[in-house]
Amino acid sequence: MAVSIRGLSKVFGGSPALSGVDFEVGAGEVHALLGPNGAGKSTLIRCLSGAVQPDAGTIVIEDEVYTELSPKQAIEAGVAVIYQNTSLIPSLTVTENVFLGEELTRWGFVRRGTQRKEAAALLHTLLGSAEIDPDGQVGSLPLATRQLVEVAKALSRANVKLLILDEPTAALTESEAHIIFDRLRRLRSQGLHIIYITHRLQEVFEIADRVTVLRDGKVALAGQSVANLDATAVVTAIAGARVVHPPRDEVGASRPVLTLSGLSGTRFGPVDLEVGAGEVVGLFGALGSGRSELLETIFGARAPDAGRILVNGHAIDPRKPAGAIAEGIALVPADRLRQALLGELDATDNVLLPSYLKLALFGFRRLAAERRVFASAAAETSFPTALAHRRGRQLSGGTQQKLIVGRWLRSARPIHVLMMDEPTQGVDVGTRSELYKIILESARRDGRAVLFASSDHEEVVALADRAVVMKAGRVVTEFQRSRLTEDNLIQAAHLDGAEGPAGNAGWRQPGARHA
Amino acid sequence: MPKKLRGRAADFIFAAPLTVAFVVMFGFFAIYGDGFFEADNLQNVALQSAALCIVAVAIGLVMIAGYIDLSVGSVMGFSGVAAGYLITQSHWSPVWASIVGVALGALSGLVNGVLVAYLRFSALIVTLGALTILRGATFAITPQTFYDFGPGFAVFGSGHFLSVPIPVWIAAAVCIAATVFLQYTAGGRHVYAVGVSQEAAYFSGINVRRIPLFLFVVSGAAAGLAGIITIARIDAAPSGSLGVGFELSALTAVLLGGVSFAGGRGSVFGILLGVLFLGILQNGLAIMNVSFANQQIANGLALVVATALEAGSAWLSRRMGVRRLARRPVTTPVAVGREPA
Repeated sequence: MAVSIRGLSKVFGGSPALSGVDFEVGAGEVHALLGPNGAGKSTLIRCLSGAVQPDAGTIVIEDEVYTELSPKQAIEAGVAVIYQNTSLIPSLTVTENVFLGEELTRWGFVRRGTQRKEAAALLHTLLGSAEIDPDGQVGSLPLATRQLVEVAKALSRANVKLLILDEPTAALTESEAHIIFDRLRRLRSQGLHIIYITHRLQEVFEIADRVTVLRDGKVALAGQSVANLDATAVVTAIAGARVVHPPRDEVGASRPVLTLSGLSGTRFGPVDLEVGAGEVVGLFGALGSGRSELLETIFGARAPDAGRILVNGHAIDPRKPAGAIAEGIALVPADRLRQALLGELDATDNVLLPSYLKLALFGFRRLAAERRVFASAAAETSFPTALAHRRGRQLSGGTQQKLIVGRWLRSARPIHVLMMDEPTQGVDVGTRSELYKIILESARRDGRAVLFASSDHEEVVALADRAVVMKAGRVVTEFQRSRLTEDNLIQAAHLDGAEGPAGNAGWRQPGARHA
Repeated sequence: MPKKLRGRAADFIFAAPLTVAFVVMFGFFAIYGDGFFEADNLQNVALQSAALCIVAVAIGLVMIAGYIDLSVGSVMGFSGVAAGYLITQSHWSPVWASIVGVALGALSGLVNGVLVAYLRFSALIVTLGALTILRGATFAITPQTFYDFGPGFAVFGSGHFLSVPIPVWIAAAVCIAATVFLQYTAGGRHVYAVGVSQEAAYFSGINVRRIPLFLFVVSGAAAGLAGIITIARIDAAPSGSLGVGFELSALTAVLLGGVSFAGGRGSVFGILLGVLFLGILQNGLAIMNVSFANQQIANGLALVVATALEAGSAWLSRRMGVRRLARRPVTTPVAVGREPA
């Protein structure tokens, strides 16, 4: 047994991220690590890579016993981690990326020829892929190839023994993922220990030898061999104990507020969907299932390829978010810090930003009206008014999200359709259920249509009246409230893959900063 | 209680290092500079700073939105010399010549703005190009200097109203207009939003193209206005020197005044303070018979020292802030944020 973890515990700010986790990876084994968001997977990985020091427990790597690791020790012990977002620099070549920071030098000069030869040899022997050009620019490579270069980079470091991959296929299509699996099998046969983190259940059965499921920082399924497992057992371990949701009023048949007919665009479609007044619909799907792209297209941030968007029965064609907002459509984006929050501005600015122009008289601000709007948004979201002049970035994630949701709930422009992408990402548990209540109540009372996307099955079950499961850009199933359970969602979203539309074209972006 | 007082004073110094430096410098010159602290001299400082103030406030707005306009020096020269041409060669009335001068500035700003905001060219490159092109265009009008615009026009540059020079009134009006714009109009809040994060502003439904376009036009018009005021004050429009290097002086003042290159931060008051800081430093050093070479060095040092002061005070206040938070954890933003009342 080469890599083993015993009783690993870590507490962050009073809440335990890991409590007494045992975990083992054998030589020549691919060990899948699963669990819902916040289960402690990343903390476990960060303990192994030295980014986080555990509070208790031991890590054994090839007979060396550690109670904690520094990043340097981790590298020396042979731990290599490949994170979800690649760390490669697009403007450099494959060779330059592989040796970045560890350039082979003689008298201070980079030995380009030697590097190139070694990179080519590495790509060939380790990955068996002669088709990757060591002089090619990384930016021009497909995403799957970039992941392979990332693997090569990790393996170029001396004596790698443990390779950790954090959702390497999240942004890849099915066939691209198979390229990665192929190479992983090859590496496994060379005796590497591999930890493979994923949200896709079918990948587990394809590539992994054993499975461990973490839940709430504890082991929910300990190193079971895949041969003795079926999908239901894994799903049950991920979903954990049943949370009983109070029965809620059926929305019933209400008039449709948002209607999509045959809408397709980058990475999704065609999609037909109706959201009624006062109804909350959840789009459930893994990262890369096209759900974010769908929301951004409705919001006018991306151009649709075909199909129609109707709000209250009349067709709209927003060319940019401002146009969608004018039609009464709002979006709370997933990337709060980049796309929603204005970190340097205070809480009132963050709430009032979309309302300033509407509230103003001939362009001049009406401060009293602004105060009323802010007060009502703060009351609606129970945002503590004492923090009104605190800067956005100084607030906790949950409080920030209240500002972003509040900015639309009580916007000076009437919002008929509220869309949210991962509405409670980076939000603490307490604020999370508070936000669900706020959103649901506002939908019911104001007759708003709410459409949210989430990769968190608990969230979908907690918030949605109806769930639509998306996979590879298409709607695969729909669950009414009565059939809306975590098991059903996980099974529908994670089993049976279908090839999705490839490509990752961007938005109609505001463009890079030019100053 | 002395402990608390010290805390308050420290807070103020940390919050406004430039204000403190300004007061210290002013006091120093008032005591040691012979004839510095006299009405005539101070009025002179204000008069000489007026054009810089107008331009600095305008490019300050551009920089708060996260862009930059380096073309202002040449715009000023071009507008001034063009107005001089119209008055002396075409015998236009000074009022119409001035209006055309300002309009030419606005037009060049419009071109910059379209290229930068709508076609998304780099603001640095576009306005650097405009800086060179317009200097060339100025020489194309004349390689020499136009003089003698007549008494009617001179009022514009050196006349007084309520014993304050007209250019100072104009600069004051620009400062007030800019403050009102930034603080009391919807557009002003949008300027900050675009400067903090163009992407977040875009997702909030703000027109992230029109805002910078408008600011570039304002910046061009302001540079044109500064050109007119300057040729009226010196009663000459020298194409070889009018506005040369002015963009750097304005940039220095703006950065001194606490506007950040990254955008999203700054105020008109800060920029005004930066302008007056430079004006008084120059005047005071001249009064104390410091050579021009050393004055230049002092200007540059002032900018670097101000930046160091700001970075240092931010660092210190962060450290002090941490200690304060440790004493009274209830006031930490995160703690309150997690337990909403």
